[in-house]
Amino acid sequence: MTYLQAQNNAVMDYPRRDASDKLRGRTKYTVDQGGLETLHAVLVRSEVASGKIIQLDAKAALEMPGVRGIATSVDAPGSHGLGIADHPIFADGHVRYHGEPIAAIAAKTRRQALEAAKKVVVKIEASKPNLTMAQSLAKDARLIHPDWEDYEILYDGAARGGNIAWEATVRRGDTQAEFDRDDITVVEGCYRVGRQNHVSFEPRAVIASFEDGRFHVITSTQVPWTVRHVTAKVLEIPESHVRVTVPPVGGGFGLKFDCSLEPYAAILAKKTGQPVSLINSREEEMLTCLCRENAEIRLKSAVTKDGEIVAREGTVLMDAGAYGGEQVFLTTMTAHTLGGNYRLGAAKIASQAVYTNTPPNGAFRACNGVYNTFALERHTDEICKAIGMDPVAFRKLNVVGDGSLGATGQVFEGDVLGPMLDRMDVLISKDSPAEVDTSEYLYGRATTVGTWFIFVGPSAATVNLNADGSATLVTSGVEIGSGTMMQSLPQMVGADLGIHPDNVIVKTADTDASGRDLGVGGGRTTVSIGAASTAACAEVRDKLFEIASELLQTATNKLVLVNGRVEIAGMAGSGMPIQTVIAEAEARNGPIAGSGAFTAPGTPAMPGCAAGHFIDAIDIPVFAVHDCEVAVHKETGKVSVLSYRVVQDVGRAINPRAIRSQVQGGVVQGMGYALSEEITINDKGCIDQDGFETYKIPSVGDVLPIDLDLFEGAPSAGPLGTKGAGEVPILNVGASIACAVANATGKKVNELPLTPPRVLELMSEDSRSLDLEHIQSDWEKNVLG
Amino acid sequence: MAIRLTINGEKQVFHGDPRTSLLEVLRDTFRLTGAKDVCGEGFCGTCNVHINGEALPACLRPIGMLEGAEVTTIEGLSPMGTFNAVQAALEKHDVVQCGMCFPGLVMTMSKFFETNSNPSRAEIKSAMTGNLCRCTGYELIVDALASIAHERGLVQ
Repeated sequence: MTYLQAQNNAVMDYPRRDASDKLRGRTKYTVDQGGLETLHAVLVRSEVASGKIIQLDAKAALEMPGVRGIATSVDAPGSHGLGIADHPIFADGHVRYHGEPIAAIAAKTRRQALEAAKKVVVKIEASKPNLTMAQSLAKDARLIHPDWEDYEILYDGAARGGNIAWEATVRRGDTQAEFDRDDITVVEGCYRVGRQNHVSFEPRAVIASFEDGRFHVITSTQVPWTVRHVTAKVLEIPESHVRVTVPPVGGGFGLKFDCSLEPYAAILAKKTGQPVSLINSREEEMLTCLCRENAEIRLKSAVTKDGEIVAREGTVLMDAGAYGGEQVFLTTMTAHTLGGNYRLGAAKIASQAVYTNTPPNGAFRACNGVYNTFALERHTDEICKAIGMDPVAFRKLNVVGDGSLGATGQVFEGDVLGPMLDRMDVLISKDSPAEVDTSEYLYGRATTVGTWFIFVGPSAATVNLNADGSATLVTSGVEIGSGTMMQSLPQMVGADLGIHPDNVIVKTADTDASGRDLGVGGGRTTVSIGAASTAACAEVRDKLFEIASELLQTATNKLVLVNGRVEIAGMAGSGMPIQTVIAEAEARNGPIAGSGAFTAPGTPAMPGCAAGHFIDAIDIPVFAVHDCEVAVHKETGKVSVLSYRVVQDVGRAINPRAIRSQVQGGVVQGMGYALSEEITINDKGCIDQDGFETYKIPSVGDVLPIDLDLFEGAPSAGPLGTKGAGEVPILNVGASIACAVANATGKKVNELPLTPPRVLELMSEDSRSLDLEHIQSDWEKNVLG
Repeated sequence: MAIRLTINGEKQVFHGDPRTSLLEVLRDTFRLTGAKDVCGEGFCGTCNVHINGEALPACLRPIGMLEGAEVTTIEGLSPMGTFNAVQAALEKHDVVQCGMCFPGLVMTMSKFFETNSNPSRAEIKSAMTGNLCRCTGYELIVDALASIAHERGLVQ
């Protein structure tokens, strides 16, 4: 099959095969599994945010009815992390956040485990917690990790110090020289966002057992290989002693991109000799979720009167919580999200993961980009106001295009954002502006742009061709709901092998069966696993053609795979069923299989301008243009979204219906972030929102249909030109709504979410400006190195 | 304490604490895991089942209050091999994502369509208000459900 044929055959609105069981309640998620012999575990968690453990006594708990085992820090000596190993799974003598696990108990029933947990004696000498980044960065701040210099370094090259767990910086060009020019306008602004809880409907959950000297971990995760690695690291055992398998996952959004409960269950399984199930309660999910981090941002730009951005400086503080975790990695993203969208002259950008005595944060759909895009787009509108330029015209003038430099000096390929803005013009022109009653409402509209990327990296795939002509795809991919495993991969493999996607069996993730993989997230599955699968198919195809070439007395380059047959190109019916070729191959050499691998293609950045980054340049940038209209109620401050339009760069849409579904869902999740999902942390360091009553995610009454235009044809290293489409839809929702509210109210909108009280406060003040005094206007004073 | 009730057409007896929620009884005692435990406080609708003909959250119903009740769960809604109109529409329109919320949603909307075979889009949305979903953004679900009346030739 030629490349062009594969492209065309892969494109379809292929329905997902898991829908039927999900609609019957038959799908067995991790929370639905476990047999009669399975024990139930609970975690004993700290009820203070900071302090020293002076007594931990579990004897009485161990004697409670039904209890089979208890684990504490002595059972898990290792620490884990990204960049630095700063995180023990049990508090190691010090507690650093409210909710930190101190002990784990397994009993015959969950109720027995909960009763026993009450008998664990924990005495903590509490100390005053640092609950905000400003507190942690104060000159006399208490160190949350006094021994930070002694931690194992897992990734070299970043500046660290005090309560700054990690710092990533960009220095490209001489910003000061540009700011000193007398023909420019300087615009400066501060922005702040809160945390967002993923609220995946299936909580984090695991069932672990110890079988034949190895651990078997069944878990609701996006990253089976990370679970394998971290479990082994904290137990200080070889990674090969851990097998991870993954049932269907009931929602991820990045929450399950880190190892969380798995090691506790594994330890207890070995101790008790029985399988152990550990499932977070909803309250635990709300209070200890690896939320999208709260962040504080200062931006300063030098712009000419013609609208050229000659210099930009930006500092982003990302609240890591008590342990560095994924925030360390996510500091990398700032260079590409704040440094994306627009062509810049000189640039200095810093991103710091800051320790606080709060629950650790993590990755969440379009991680880091969502709030940086909010800040950048608000800042852009403030620039436009300062120089008197139309915001859309400014964007058309400045968005990155073919040959533009990114913040780290990477050269972008292709004109994408500019044409997408033109496409948005067309989309907007199809409808009249929404009508509002101006006696009650203020009307606002905004168009924003966004840049994110596909997180590539290693993936592996094996394709086994079966005697009946079907194929079995073996990867570490996980179906988290996006449909990648159920739709795009079978479509691609089916197209490559000339069989229907129904005839592509997709093996669920099993680290004993499949090659290493970075996991499902960052929009990478279709691209990375897809590319590995395509490579595996190529090997299968070569083997088939080698045999068929002899059988058909035709050169291999004249053969194609189509409709389950090997055919001579252009001569339908000239060949033979694929089963015939497989049978011949088995007789000669054995069954046909192919293996494939993929990793980051590697895009060059300017040498020496970036420090502390895990990714210096982005291999596959993805772009989005959003537009919305809002009405702001003058009396209540309630923001209603009247229309929402998206032009999204998808590379190539192989399942347009599935993408539409992802965009609708992603934008609505973004509306929650922009308008209602607010997390506050009380003076005990505990998150206030402990359930659905207090944390308001959008319901059906809060949403509207998204008007979508898929932009195809942008450069991509993905198979068939694809880019992951599920991550990006949330990227500039907060930005678009905030800019529209600013246009409606005429006020500076510097914070999210825009809850009615916050909007009312905004409208009631004559002039409101957020000043984050702990971030210096002089950029160099903020950075360590 | 023994509580007698009918679940999916079969007479069952639960022995235990009458304060135990119906959801816990369904999932842990009878291994009917179709109803999901998501919020535990009656806000999300994912554990909705039919209790004496009403779609209600199982997490808020102590089993002790259900002596003699008729309970239908998602497993008992439609025989294997068949789908009711709601399930068929949701499958046909390919709106399922992670799927955790769908058992409860199907129970709610199946009961709704029993009482209103030709609802408007607004009525569908109103009936769905108690069923939260984190993946889909709702609108495509509403499209799917609105098609039921269309396909029956009952368009409002």
